[in-house]
Amino acid sequence: MNLRNSVESEKDSQGLQVLPLEADHSFIQPAKRIHDGEDVSFFLSSKAYTDLTTFLLQLNASMFPRRDKSSAHVHSWEIGTQNVEYSAANKQLKKLINQLETFIEEAPPDTGPRRFGNISFRKWYNLVEERVSDLIDQYVPVSVLDFTTKDNPVTTAKDELRAYLLGGFGSAQRLDYGTGHELSFLAFLGCIWKLGGFPKAEAGIEERGIVLGVIEPYLKLIRRLILTYTLEPAGTHGVWGLDDHSFVPYIFGSAQLSPAITDGARVPQEGSRPDAPDPSDVAKAAAVERERVNNMYFSAIGFIYDVKKGPFWEHSPMLFDISGIRAGWAKINKGMIKMYNAEVLSKFPVVQHFPFGSLFQWEKDPLATPVKFSVHTSTQPSQKREAGSTTSQPIEAGPLGGTKAPGASSGGPAVASTTRFQGREPPLRNLQEPPTRAPWATPTSTNRMPPSTGTAAPWARPRTEQQPDNATAPSGAPWADK
Amino acid sequence: MSELDKAIEQLRACRPIPEPQVRELCHKARELLIEEGNVVGVDAPVTICGDIHGQFHDLMELFRVGGDVPDTNYLFMGDFVDRGFYSLESFLLLLCLKVRYPDRITLIRGNHESRQITTVYGFYDECLRKYGSANVWRYCCEVFDYLALGALVTGAASNLPPSSAPFADPATAANMASDTSDVEIEILNSAGQITNRFPRQRRSPHQPQQQAPQPNSQPSSSSQDADVDDAPPPDSQATLSPSPSQSQGTNQLPSQTGAPGTSASSGARSQNDGGAILCVHGGLSPLIDTLDKIRLLDRKQEVPHEGAMCDLLWSDPDEIDGWGLSPRGAGFLFGSDIVKCFNHKNGLSMVARAHQLVMEGFKEMFEAEVVTVWSAPNYCYRCGNVAAILELGEDGSGGGYVPKSNGDVGRSLGLGGWEGPVNGEMRRMGGPGRRYRVFEAAPQDSRGMPAKKPVADYFL
Repeated sequence: MNLRNSVESEKDSQGLQVLPLEADHSFIQPAKRIHDGEDVSFFLSSKAYTDLTTFLLQLNASMFPRRDKSSAHVHSWEIGTQNVEYSAANKQLKKLINQLETFIEEAPPDTGPRRFGNISFRKWYNLVEERVSDLIDQYVPVSVLDFTTKDNPVTTAKDELRAYLLGGFGSAQRLDYGTGHELSFLAFLGCIWKLGGFPKAEAGIEERGIVLGVIEPYLKLIRRLILTYTLEPAGTHGVWGLDDHSFVPYIFGSAQLSPAITDGARVPQEGSRPDAPDPSDVAKAAAVERERVNNMYFSAIGFIYDVKKGPFWEHSPMLFDISGIRAGWAKINKGMIKMYNAEVLSKFPVVQHFPFGSLFQWEKDPLATPVKFSVHTSTQPSQKREAGSTTSQPIEAGPLGGTKAPGASSGGPAVASTTRFQGREPPLRNLQEPPTRAPWATPTSTNRMPPSTGTAAPWARPRTEQQPDNATAPSGAPWADK
Repeated sequence: MSELDKAIEQLRACRPIPEPQVRELCHKARELLIEEGNVVGVDAPVTICGDIHGQFHDLMELFRVGGDVPDTNYLFMGDFVDRGFYSLESFLLLLCLKVRYPDRITLIRGNHESRQITTVYGFYDECLRKYGSANVWRYCCEVFDYLALGALVTGAASNLPPSSAPFADPATAANMASDTSDVEIEILNSAGQITNRFPRQRRSPHQPQQQAPQPNSQPSSSSQDADVDDAPPPDSQATLSPSPSQSQGTNQLPSQTGAPGTSASSGARSQNDGGAILCVHGGLSPLIDTLDKIRLLDRKQEVPHEGAMCDLLWSDPDEIDGWGLSPRGAGFLFGSDIVKCFNHKNGLSMVARAHQLVMEGFKEMFEAEVVTVWSAPNYCYRCGNVAAILELGEDGSGGGYVPKSNGDVGRSLGLGGWEGPVNGEMRRMGGPGRRYRVFEAAPQDSRGMPAKKPVADYFL
């Protein structure tokens, strides 16, 4: 099952396939494949997308409270609960996160003048880069690193793991962090899963260990990085995005508060755990303070309270609106997954950085339903449409055109709906890059980059990796030497 | 009271005006804006403001600190919308004021005044939420297409007229008040008290600098450690006296930031003004070497993804030589050589721009050839920055010759914009007297919670 087919699918117990040990496997150095809006459409029908969403939904399902078939006893999975047993693999990955956190001491924030983001984040990131090989050797199960390959492979499992792990901690170049980085870390864990790094167990057991034992500590590390190095929030949509940096805690956190299920049963569509806090509690500082230690959703909200000043409904109107939902946390969970699909996985500015290798493959999934996608798959809303029209016809991706009106699709509320992700979509919204980057932008991987900036261009395309030769042609247009 | 005055009153109360009224307002605004050139001429005195980003209550604070329209002549350098909760109210109020007092307020276009950007960064969502349709968003976008691309401020005084403002801290007053005849830069807090004052200096940039007075009460985090004591922290010392060694590294962050980042003591300036101030949202373009090239652009369109018009709205200054690629994916980075050359060629004393968050509200770079002005305090409710506005005074006749260059090529020759090569470098004189008013985010306790929570479609 995957998001593409709908979150309401009946089958959710399948889980991400572990690769058979006996098969020879050829690893591939992960590389970026998404260069424009069309590529996003392809991504949404790719094997990588299927695997990523399968893994996400598998982790999500594991966080729903469980009712014992025999005793009717309900187990819930709070942060720090004693109910979850962590496998050695989980414990090692948690140590990896702890290790990364200690690097902060070695890269104290720079005290000199700066515009916003702290350049010492680059030091921290360099430390990670320097040591990533040893870290993987030390903390990733040997069986994963030794995964059967043909003789003398050029590329190993470690190469793939490294790409996703390094992609999980923000941009050293731009001094920012967003949901694209979060997705990369998820993929890192997905690689280990696919290579059999987590012990086989009853559905949910290892997954819970991953969410509470690895992802939650990861999120804590990220929050600390954000605070320590003031990683820029500017590329967010300000108050019009869900959260400046993160998404998955809202998914897993709402699952934690949903009604209990019996193992293997389908995930409920609405309702809440009887003892769950009310969704409207997110607007109450005291309740947030109380719940943030137990619950990932409230933990994320608590971080917003830490960093933002002002009325909650004003600085976080999306979360405030969601707090008015009466159909319970399961309803919120379902909406969060839909939103994740539309606002993260389908957004060019977010997924353009995601690299594809042998584990997350840039190959068409034969089982994928065809996607006829809309604005959010493209680098920009492109086909000229009558803004404000009340019909909700699908918006097609089109060529980049400077003067085209973006698809303003409907007269509906701010967050436009998706009809199974294929109908009307909201105008593209980039949850990732802090500074206002051009939504069309692709990173220019030059060595010398300024500290993070403001807004990113939505349309930016890959540029050449070279800086213009400034020394010799100070006034030459950068494109002149192409 | 006219309909327009009523609309202004309603918007000042942060209440949106009805859709038909928006339509009419936008129509009138377009008629007005279409008459403006791509580069609007503005006479000093004027107060220059940077990004607002829908921070309506902070815009009200800006007016409180800087004076109301029409008493104060304002120039807003774009980015009225996106990210904040009140882009609509902020932009419509500014637009109403423009229509009501066309000669007392100038609005130029920022990179967020664009269809594509507003659909990504919030203004579109906000209009849908507040009106239930995208009509108002569409009307506003049509106005965006007519906004000027820049403004040219002429007639600014080279020295600030003596100010009667009190000093925030009497202890500093002793250091700073001695010479009021030749003040280049003055920094005031939101209470209208002087926190810092820099006299114009006449030394070569290569001579050792005398330590200028330290700001001691500017309401920003970094100024807290930059106290008046005789041993200022190394970083603020560095920012006050850029030395040749510091300007070597191109990887360094720009070293001059905000209050301690003024270029007052750089020594590169001396008395007498040397030209006009170009105001644009982002910065320069490799395709634009003269102001006339801006004037020749066809601006009445959506902001293109590349080209001169795009660059003016997207570029950033940086500590590099020449031009560089922008990590934003649009516009370019430009170094001090580019600005110096451009300013010289066009008889400008300075480029004022916005576009980048600066913690201290403003930042002068490249010996004050460029200043960034940022007017959205505690940006996005979390950045902890202060905001600033830049006041340029009117040339008060007594002060010496102030050429009123319109920036045309060649017009600046012989006007003293440059002293000529010194030690193999071009040095110039002048620069307007600059008064920065720094302010913090408006208090938030009085804002009422909305009655109902619309449900986002994902959650229906």
